[in-house]
Amino acid sequence: MNDQVQRKKFSLSLLLFEFRNITGNPYVHIFGIGLPVLMSIIISKMLASQIPDAGILSTEVTAAVLGIGAMIPLAMILIGYAATYSQELEKGIPQRLELFGIDPGMSIISRIIAELVLQVCAFIIYFAVAVLVLGIKAPTVQGVIWYIVCIGVLGIISFGLAHAVSMIFKKFGIVYCITMMLYFCIMIASGMMGISYDMLPSGIQAVSRLLPTTYITRDFADIWLGKGYNFMPMLQAYLFTGALSGILLLFSLKRNARKAA
Amino acid sequence: MQLTIENLTVKYGADVALQITEPLTICEGDRVGIIGSNGAGKSTLIKSILGIVNYQGTIRTDLTPNRMATHMQFNEYTDAMPCRYVMEAILDTKVSKNPKLRELISYFEFEDCLRKKYNKLSGGQKQRFTIIMVMMQDAPLTFYDEVTSGLDFETRQKLMEKLVNWYAGKTSSLCIVSHYYEELEQMTNKILILDKGKVIDYGDKDRLFQKYCGRSVIVFDASPQNQALAKDFKKLASPAHLTAVSVKDEAEELAVTKLLLDNNINFRRSNNDIEIMYSNARNAYYGEEYSHE
Repeated sequence: MNDQVQRKKFSLSLLLFEFRNITGNPYVHIFGIGLPVLMSIIISKMLASQIPDAGILSTEVTAAVLGIGAMIPLAMILIGYAATYSQELEKGIPQRLELFGIDPGMSIISRIIAELVLQVCAFIIYFAVAVLVLGIKAPTVQGVIWYIVCIGVLGIISFGLAHAVSMIFKKFGIVYCITMMLYFCIMIASGMMGISYDMLPSGIQAVSRLLPTTYITRDFADIWLGKGYNFMPMLQAYLFTGALSGILLLFSLKRNARKAA
Repeated sequence: MQLTIENLTVKYGADVALQITEPLTICEGDRVGIIGSNGAGKSTLIKSILGIVNYQGTIRTDLTPNRMATHMQFNEYTDAMPCRYVMEAILDTKVSKNPKLRELISYFEFEDCLRKKYNKLSGGQKQRFTIIMVMMQDAPLTFYDEVTSGLDFETRQKLMEKLVNWYAGKTSSLCIVSHYYEELEQMTNKILILDKGKVIDYGDKDRLFQKYCGRSVIVFDASPQNQALAKDFKKLASPAHLTAVSVKDEAEELAVTKLLLDNNINFRRSNNDIEIMYSNARNAYYGEEYSHE
């Protein structure tokens, strides 16, 4: 009779492992932290050269910083996590871990938590620069809470998409191409690439309205500053992308599930 | 622990990678050597039992897949952190707080590798890294798929010696895939012979040897003179450069060895030569002469 060790479903060591794993990915640091910080500085400097009024400038910079912040979960998780995970899939690492008795569900939960923790770290750096260098407007408590919730949920949705795309296509090259395309399409449709939502063709605007990032880019300064806001369209966009991400994730998990003897 | 395979078919696309028609049972304490040439279905069989390939048929066991431990043919881990953290996360323990893990690390002389990243380990160190974690699982059924492939002779010998000693006296069942048959001679009591996805034979190692080779085999160089000398004895299929004589009893064995000694011919005697047994099992199955390529 063997006294086989039964591992706990969830463990701190697994969470730390996943955190170390994602921080070892250079894409996360370059696209998830470096690029948003750089873009927020460049766009703020551009706005400063165009807007002479300090009060208006401060509001516009705040709106730009909050909008560019939406890039962090997209870059860090949608691209960064998909890049890491697809490379792991190519090497058979997730399967290897499962064969050691690590429950795939617990592995996913650990990965989500690790990604969200890293996202918080990225936002601390991002807002430190925004406050100290760019001088964004002080938020209301409610505004901060809404921003944390919206960005957090966007991170989870991005994770679901990244994990599903990786598990469906499995090859780093294809996964990287798809997530990069998604990233740029979302950025363009959300008005993050220099053309605002109002200036987009009506067909693209219809797509934009389905993306939470559109509302973060366009409207979040109002929420941040405690002004009245109708959350319904944004909520609908979250529900749509959340459902899409969830369905794809469930499909990919079902497709790759291990057969019990 | 018992595992029975019935009517198993595994297909990769249109190709049948493995087809087991007769029931095949692995019992508690069995040490099964799985042999066959490349593409025989050895790894596919393990993957089927582990539930990581789709199959048709029945694999009946009281073990859930996570109560089976496996050393796969290819084992990869993240290179983002030192091996120590990978090991601690996988085993959900701390090296410093786990005497059994420290014993295994010491047993496999892995202490200095703990701080290295996986991609910085040598081939032998990589194998030992996985073996330590597989052994820590202490599973009722453990698979070793080509655990020594790609290692130099000395490393292979040392690794096998450690595996043999570790499992001596333990009741866990093992399934070992290897192309190095001398390793299987040390570690197994049953042999499963696969070829082109089919089971050639399965059973007790000694019984299979006797079935295909007789009491023992005497092997010597296949020079024309030696072949002429041994023309009256029953020959077995063997590698082209060797002659293998099957002997059925002690008297015949003495006669063959005396003849070889009298003619100053070097020879080797074996009653568990898996390579020759494998060749002759294949011949018997296909009813044709097996030729080494």
